[in-house]
Amino acid sequence: MGSSSSSMDHIPNAEELMQETGFSAAHLLRLYERFEFLDKDQTGELRPEDFGAIGGLALNPIGDRIISAFFSPGQETVDFPSFVRVLAHFRPNGTNRTRNGTQQEPVNSRTRKLKFAFQLYDQDRDGKISRAELLQVLRAMLGIQVTEEQLQSIAERAIQEADLDRDDAISFDEFKKVQQVSPHPQTPTKETPLHPTEGGR
Amino acid sequence: MPSRTCSHSPSGFGKSLPEQGLLLLVVLVLLEGSVLPLGAASSPDVSHQDDSHNHKVADHGVNATKKVFPVLDVDYHHIQTPFEISLWVLLASLMKLGFHLIPRLSSIVPESCLLIVVGLLVGGLIKLAGEQVPPVLDSRLFFLCLLPPIILDAGYFLPIRPFMENVGTILMFAVVGTVWNAFFVGGLLYAVCQIQPANPSSLHSIELLHCLLFGSIISAVDPVAVLAVFEEIHINELLHILVFGESLLNDAVTVVLYHLFVEYAGVGTVTVMDGFLGVISFLVVALGGVLVGAIYGILAAFTSRFTSHTRVIEPLFVFVYSYMAYLSAEMFHLSGIMALIACGAVMRPYVEANISHKSHTTIKYFLKMWSSVSETLIFIFLGVATVDGPHSWNWTFVTVTVILCLVARVIGVVGLTYIINKFRIVKLTTKDQFIVAYGGLRGAIAFSLGFLLDQNQFAHRKMFLTAIITVIFFTVFVQGMTIKPLVELLAVKKKQEAKRSINEEIHTQFLDHLLTGIEDICGHYGHHHWKDKLNRFNKKYVKKCLIAGERSKEPQLIAFYHKMEMKQAIELVESGGGVKLPSAVPSTVSMQNIQPKKPPPAKAAERALPQLPKGREEEIRKILRSNLQRTRQRLRSYNRHTLVADPYEDGFSDLLIKKQKMIELEKKIKEMNNYLTVPAAPPDSPTMCRARLASGRDTDFKPAQQQKGNKICPDPQAYSMKPVSDSVPVIQVDLASPQSPDSVNVMDEFRRANQEEDQGLMMKPPQGSSGSNKPGEADTTRDQQRLMRCLSDPGPSADEDEDEPFLP
Repeated sequence: MGSSSSSMDHIPNAEELMQETGFSAAHLLRLYERFEFLDKDQTGELRPEDFGAIGGLALNPIGDRIISAFFSPGQETVDFPSFVRVLAHFRPNGTNRTRNGTQQEPVNSRTRKLKFAFQLYDQDRDGKISRAELLQVLRAMLGIQVTEEQLQSIAERAIQEADLDRDDAISFDEFKKVQQVSPHPQTPTKETPLHPTEGGR
Repeated sequence: MPSRTCSHSPSGFGKSLPEQGLLLLVVLVLLEGSVLPLGAASSPDVSHQDDSHNHKVADHGVNATKKVFPVLDVDYHHIQTPFEISLWVLLASLMKLGFHLIPRLSSIVPESCLLIVVGLLVGGLIKLAGEQVPPVLDSRLFFLCLLPPIILDAGYFLPIRPFMENVGTILMFAVVGTVWNAFFVGGLLYAVCQIQPANPSSLHSIELLHCLLFGSIISAVDPVAVLAVFEEIHINELLHILVFGESLLNDAVTVVLYHLFVEYAGVGTVTVMDGFLGVISFLVVALGGVLVGAIYGILAAFTSRFTSHTRVIEPLFVFVYSYMAYLSAEMFHLSGIMALIACGAVMRPYVEANISHKSHTTIKYFLKMWSSVSETLIFIFLGVATVDGPHSWNWTFVTVTVILCLVARVIGVVGLTYIINKFRIVKLTTKDQFIVAYGGLRGAIAFSLGFLLDQNQFAHRKMFLTAIITVIFFTVFVQGMTIKPLVELLAVKKKQEAKRSINEEIHTQFLDHLLTGIEDICGHYGHHHWKDKLNRFNKKYVKKCLIAGERSKEPQLIAFYHKMEMKQAIELVESGGGVKLPSAVPSTVSMQNIQPKKPPPAKAAERALPQLPKGREEEIRKILRSNLQRTRQRLRSYNRHTLVADPYEDGFSDLLIKKQKMIELEKKIKEMNNYLTVPAAPPDSPTMCRARLASGRDTDFKPAQQQKGNKICPDPQAYSMKPVSDSVPVIQVDLASPQSPDSVNVMDEFRRANQEEDQGLMMKPPQGSSGSNKPGEADTTRDQQRLMRCLSDPGPSADEDEDEPFLP
């Protein structure tokens, strides 16, 4: 681990990023190191293959969706700021560092997190989770052990439960409402890996 | 059951005849209990005299008169012990009955207080009768008989997910908090005792170690008391699991400290080495207990895999293995409580996948029953022991103890929370801290531990006991009674009666995957990563070993979904009579009592619903309203004692939807003339009918055809379903259909079982089953069996943890 000041210089727009995402310098540094680790051919940008190299992600049923969430539509690569911005969604609440009076919602508010999750469902970005999209997710998560009929019925039921305006799809508001009682979609560990005591590969 | 109106009258208790009868019964029982021993004392003399008389007579020779054949003889001693035990249990149960008949009382005063008062009364009565008060809270009886059922009940139905999410916090409170309490109370008590200026009281002679021992006894939060009080206040899940978890896990600490100080109090000194050994001992005790429990749990799970042919004794395995885990742990001086918890928690997911629904019900009911009775008995005995116990009141000691306990608890909680909040995501607010501190109740465990002390070794045992009892009384009465209003006052978040919808389930799993993925990207092996690994391990190896047959491969989501559909199907069938109302009211079905929240039913039905005549709607609304009133009074939220979940906490919208479904079914029933008197709907709920329709398997209507006699119901039209609504995909409830291959297991099971007997436990139409209903019922019962196989008891956190992977 190099001295923080010199490494920080490598990070483009570090100050800005910190402001925008709320990460501390230490966090940012750590993420940068991780970014560099993933970036095998040192281009300064990540490609889907780089993500795919992560072992756990390959086993993850929604791994490919997560990967594609990093890439804005049309883009082939992810640079560090985008990387950090996406990950900023998962910074736990309560550690919001005061910004210079940003009025917009903090990046890791509950709504933003739900929006992020919603976008993972909603692959075609039309603002609604259609039955087909839900089916895809279910298929991915449940694997091959389940028959098509079962999947259909589950998807059907899920839509019926959530779909309040009867358009046969789940909009973001309906999605939010259903998740009212769910726990915060936060990773409890986002803070801790950046503490020397707990983090570690 | 006395009608509600009666018990609401201001003069309440004793007004109605059954209640008077109950009161009379209780008094009789009490009298009997106290008088019989007196009678027993005299009877031996009588029989003795008889004997001697007879001998004398016999000696006189042949012409002696035949001795009078004892037509009626009283031989109390023969049955004394079991009789007295039964008497106590009966008393406890009657008390419970009695309390719930007095609604206002039970809402003000927690049950535990009332029971202690009863115990005091009984003890007083016995003393008045001049009899020796039996040493009821004998430590062996307590630890070996009374405590295990409660702990097993708690462990088996422990909501794993919240527990595991907060395990760090819980451990901190349990371990560090208890140690802090013990030393603080013990140390300061010693100091206070020493500084007694004027009167050279006996307090001066207390040694430090004795004080520390006392401190460790008194500092443990008691699971029984916590359960008893927290059950009634319906606090939010987080707080509940924090306090409750703490009370369970601090057993290890208490055991170690207790033994440590008892050992060394004799010697008089404790060295650093001893302290170090103490720490090691703690680890051994705690981890050893958990290990023992886990081993027995796995054994039980494994055994349950093979019980498909002997369903009747399945519950026995659960109970016996758990009890043996407890005893084994106690044998090695490990923490029996932790063993029991570990055993219950480990075996549950696998056992439930293996056992039949009936066994499941049996286990649930037996556990609830035993733990309920146990808890009642414990509190009554506390009261009795108070009357009896050797007391030595010392104002200073007792008051200082009480104050110190409170202060120590508050400081401990606040201090620990400050540290813990640095690591928590969902921080503990001040309100939370207050409730955690205030909920630190002491109970019978402390008393029993004190009772165990050797009088010779500990000269101040009596004083200790008095102080312990005072603290217990204080916490249970004062804190127990006031916590409910305080919770209201502080507007602490109450338990959300969240209906666990399929969306939640999907989303939770989705989130888990998502977070695991993010963790992988960040390169952090955190919480989710390990959880995921454990799940995978569980799925791949453990489930295969421990779960019989096909169910080992069933994904959790599917199981959950089945469950929901089944529940809904059953509700519809039960409510299908039209006048029969939302089936949360367990009018006909004992098993329905177990049923937790109802998920919102499929809304497609609404779309298909034709317009209702106005009058009809009004009628139904009226019925609904009246039933709503009635059932609100009768049902309460789930707690250990009633097992009935309050469906109406979910919201009224469910009711309206159900009403519409009901109307639908009504219409259908009208078309089936032969069933007007039998409110049980045919096995086809609209859901299932749609399923059959959509799948085009018209042949599946055989059971329906049988039911309808010769009238073959044209499927869709009977439900007034428009074809357009059949874009609804097939619902997999084909499981319900006899032809479905998946239902084979269940069917076999039922074929083997006595059909009549099944229906004894099963849902029956209120008017009894007519012959032609049988196939329909069998079908429904199959559904229900299938469902109940999955259903597990909703702990305070309701449905959430059913069928979750081992460590979600």
